[in-house]
Amino acid sequence: MANDSHYLLLLGMLTCTGVFAGLLYLVKFSLGPPVAEPGKDVPAESGRLAVEPAWVRYHVHYYGFALLFLCFDMEMAFMYPWAVVYKKLGITALLDMGVFLLILFLGLVYTWNQGGLKRQ
Amino acid sequence: MENSATLATTLLVVLLFAGGVYALAVLEYWSVAGRLAWTRPVRLALKLLAREEIKPRQRDAVFYETAPVLLLAAGTLAAAVLPWSASAPLLSLATGALFVNAAFAYVMVALVLGGWSSNGAYAMIGGWRFLGQLLAYSMPMVMALTATVMRAESMVPVQIVLSQRGLWNIIYQPVGFGLFYLAALALAFLPPFDLPVAAGELAGGAWADFTGARRLVLRLGRLSLVMSLAVTITVFYLGGWQGSGLPGVVWTLLKTLLVAASFFGVGRYVSRVRYDLMLEWSWKYATPAALLNILWVGILLLL
Repeated sequence: MANDSHYLLLLGMLTCTGVFAGLLYLVKFSLGPPVAEPGKDVPAESGRLAVEPAWVRYHVHYYGFALLFLCFDMEMAFMYPWAVVYKKLGITALLDMGVFLLILFLGLVYTWNQGGLKRQ
Repeated sequence: MENSATLATTLLVVLLFAGGVYALAVLEYWSVAGRLAWTRPVRLALKLLAREEIKPRQRDAVFYETAPVLLLAAGTLAAAVLPWSASAPLLSLATGALFVNAAFAYVMVALVLGGWSSNGAYAMIGGWRFLGQLLAYSMPMVMALTATVMRAESMVPVQIVLSQRGLWNIIYQPVGFGLFYLAALALAFLPPFDLPVAAGELAGGAWADFTGARRLVLRLGRLSLVMSLAVTITVFYLGGWQGSGLPGVVWTLLKTLLVAASFFGVGRYVSRVRYDLMLEWSWKYATPAALLNILWVGILLLL
């Protein structure tokens, strides 16, 4: 297979998924609309419509973990190509990435030490 | 000639995947009720289609329509790059392992969109909870995958299976397997980690306001996600199609169903895990363990 036909296949799969879901919706639609009754379309909240919309500022308590995640996720971007050539480069690769990971790991230990790994 | 072979492979993979998803639906009920009800998925689907479809009144229409389809797409896209046998890789991407990860990342997007779109507080908190879970499971999962890539010297899933010829990765790197297994459970929000959408939590969490056909697509999406994850574990840790006597495709299917059954079995006997505890344990123990796993594999490879 040529290289670009891979992506065509992926696009085809995505389209098929969309069409499949669309067909299910069509079957559902053909069975008729729901009976309109007051209070039926309230989101799951004890049966009463909330005074305020739910789209307000929400305190995401795990923001500290999110910051840590960001650091480690950046590092993962380097690790994929590194993993492919690891065996070829041998001990050099281990030491290079080892130093890099150690610095990050020290950061993790410091966060732990400072109580950052608790729910804020 | 080549086109017809590709078509045959595509059909085979789609059929196997669809059949696997159906078997999973049966298995899921078996794990709860203790009996095999072969027609139940069909009846359940018909019931969901026949039920009234009530949409929340102040919803975000675009996100509300996107979320179910996105979840289904995330589950099936990952399956596209996973090989069922030596001759049946649907897609042999050079970045296969990375692609699997990228496809699974959309699960989080689908759940947060689903929680956001219905404009209900419970649904939104469900979505945020799943985002918290992502921060916990993502790192161990990615690092465990990296260690399998190191051994295969390639990100192509077929190469990763071939690298396990003598010894499966489950024995070569058991820590990585354990981490990946737990992360897979969390990623598919299966019972011990089903806080974001469980029926007994937040009135159904991120899925609370989806009914009818959209609910059906969400449930199908979850099942196809579990199926993809089971195939991923089979390919990356259980030697893929390798086995003696039977054809490769059968081996993959058998291993996959076994992994999926164990997923459902675990959920039955372990109590629900709070996401903040999960975050804490993940960063205190799982991430260092994943780093040690990389070191372990690195040393083994140099020996």
